[in-house]
Amino acid sequence: MLKVTNVGKAYGKFTALENINLEVADGEFLAVMGPSGSGKSTLINVLGLLDQSYTGEYLLEGKNYKDVNDNELSQIRGDQLGFVFQNFKLLTTYNVYENIEIPLIYSKKKQSKKHEMVEDVIEKVGLTGKEKNRPSELSGGQQQRVAIARAIVNRPKLIIADEPTGALDSKTSKEIMEIFTKLNEAGTTIIMVTHDSEVAEYAMRTVYIRDGRLYNDEKSVKNHD
Amino acid sequence: MTDKIMIALKSIGKNKNRNFLTMLGIIIGIASVICILAIGDGFTHTVTKGMGNHNTRNKVILQWEPTSDYNTDGGFTPNDASALSKIPGVDHVKLTSSVAEAGAKVQYKTKNVSIGLNKQPKHLSLVKGTYFTMTGASNGVYISEDLAHKLFKENAINRLISIDGTVFEVQGIYHISEMNYRPDAYVSKQIFKELFANQISKDQAKLYVKADANKKQVGKTAVQRMKKMGEQKNTGRYSVSNPDTVSKQFTRILNDITYFIAFIAGISLLIAGIGVMNVMYITVSERRKEIGIRRAFGATSGDIRNQFLIESVVLCVIGGLIGIIFGYIFVAIINAFLPFKAVITAYSIILSLSVSTAVGLIFGFIPSNKAAHSELVGLLKEE
Repeated sequence: MLKVTNVGKAYGKFTALENINLEVADGEFLAVMGPSGSGKSTLINVLGLLDQSYTGEYLLEGKNYKDVNDNELSQIRGDQLGFVFQNFKLLTTYNVYENIEIPLIYSKKKQSKKHEMVEDVIEKVGLTGKEKNRPSELSGGQQQRVAIARAIVNRPKLIIADEPTGALDSKTSKEIMEIFTKLNEAGTTIIMVTHDSEVAEYAMRTVYIRDGRLYNDEKSVKNHD
Repeated sequence: MTDKIMIALKSIGKNKNRNFLTMLGIIIGIASVICILAIGDGFTHTVTKGMGNHNTRNKVILQWEPTSDYNTDGGFTPNDASALSKIPGVDHVKLTSSVAEAGAKVQYKTKNVSIGLNKQPKHLSLVKGTYFTMTGASNGVYISEDLAHKLFKENAINRLISIDGTVFEVQGIYHISEMNYRPDAYVSKQIFKELFANQISKDQAKLYVKADANKKQVGKTAVQRMKKMGEQKNTGRYSVSNPDTVSKQFTRILNDITYFIAFIAGISLLIAGIGVMNVMYITVSERRKEIGIRRAFGATSGDIRNQFLIESVVLCVIGGLIGIIFGYIFVAIINAFLPFKAVITAYSIILSLSVSTAVGLIFGFIPSNKAAHSELVGLLKEE
């Protein structure tokens, strides 16, 4: 699915990512664990084609998008990637249906097809009947379901989730992780950032990040310390 | 496009008060544009229509003006008319008067008043009495409120007055507004013709010319001939009246006024535009999170720019539409006071909507562009 070779990123003198090497196979469910400030979000921004100012090489589906123009990048993000952000990032003035519809606004599909796709994911995440509700009328778990529905409505190959359970209690976290597991079983590749080891257990593989460096297991992180 | 307009309407609706205040500038600007154009168009229409009576292609108008203020009675006589009709190229001559009323003296008991008088019009609204078209030699008279006050202390109806020695009975009283000039009294058409019409001096001669005649030449010859043999050449001056020049001057003055008011409307729209720009800047900075989300889910920077640009245009067009409605209301109010009728044309509606759209595009562009080119990672950090 993707291959990262010697990727680095610095903000002035501060090194956010250093010498990152990572390969994720199609259909894999990868958890990235690390404390806050370790560079998790920076890594996700690079992987999600949200931040192009990195060094090294990043291939998504074998292609390097480093020098691709802004419009093309937007199209790839819209077609191939789905994001689930920390704190849901829903538009509060839009209802559930309208929030989920956002990625489709920018695709060239027919209106009837778009409607069908939205209804399909609403059912998948178990929000049938809540289409007209505003995010403020929903529980945290329901809001995250909306965010997941929005991420998968365009049927992306890769879902990038940043602390998807960060704002949820453990019972709701479990429900959300079950949705992710189902999506992964259906063939979607998932990269999930978390600091919760229980949540990371749902993934097939976990990598660890600390001070901008990536480690393959917890032991090597400790050895490094 | 429809869904993009819906998105724009939705976010405008979210901040109704703020956006209404922003629109206020546009509303005032557009309403004044509508009013200016309506007044201008109405005025031009009235003036050119009025000119049209004189402006017909087949005649030359000759006028007589008194040279002294003491003897103003005079003009063209039937002998003058027949002399004029012999000028080569002239088909026939008609003597008319630029003044529509005859001078007369009214007497009631010991009071004497000089008045202007005319034949009764078809319609006249009265303050007292009932209005009807008087037949034949009826001795009825309608008098102005002002004249009634001068003659009688109260109740003027059915009183008898003498006008130049003939007795008339007051049938009704009408009001003269400042806007609408009327003579002091009206008598029946026939009575006017018999008793007063000849008192109106015929100070205009309309020379109807043949199709192949040179109007300029006819006018020149006519003036020369009248200077030589006009019966009242000693008390007055003859000249050719040229309505074309008058109408051109009118149009020029009107255009100057229009440019001036358009300039003021332009400034009000400029200020409104700056307001729109300001509110769009606020909107963009308030919605950084939304921009980030849209960009992450496939919106190009062009999509974002268009979204805000559409919003700015929709805001201005709504303002423009409200402005047009207010324009209609103001024009209706103004029409109650104007001596002519201001008219709103399709052109002014199209112009107003184009101006509103242009204001939205011009002043929305920089903020929209700012939204389109914000750094994505920074946008996604917004809560």
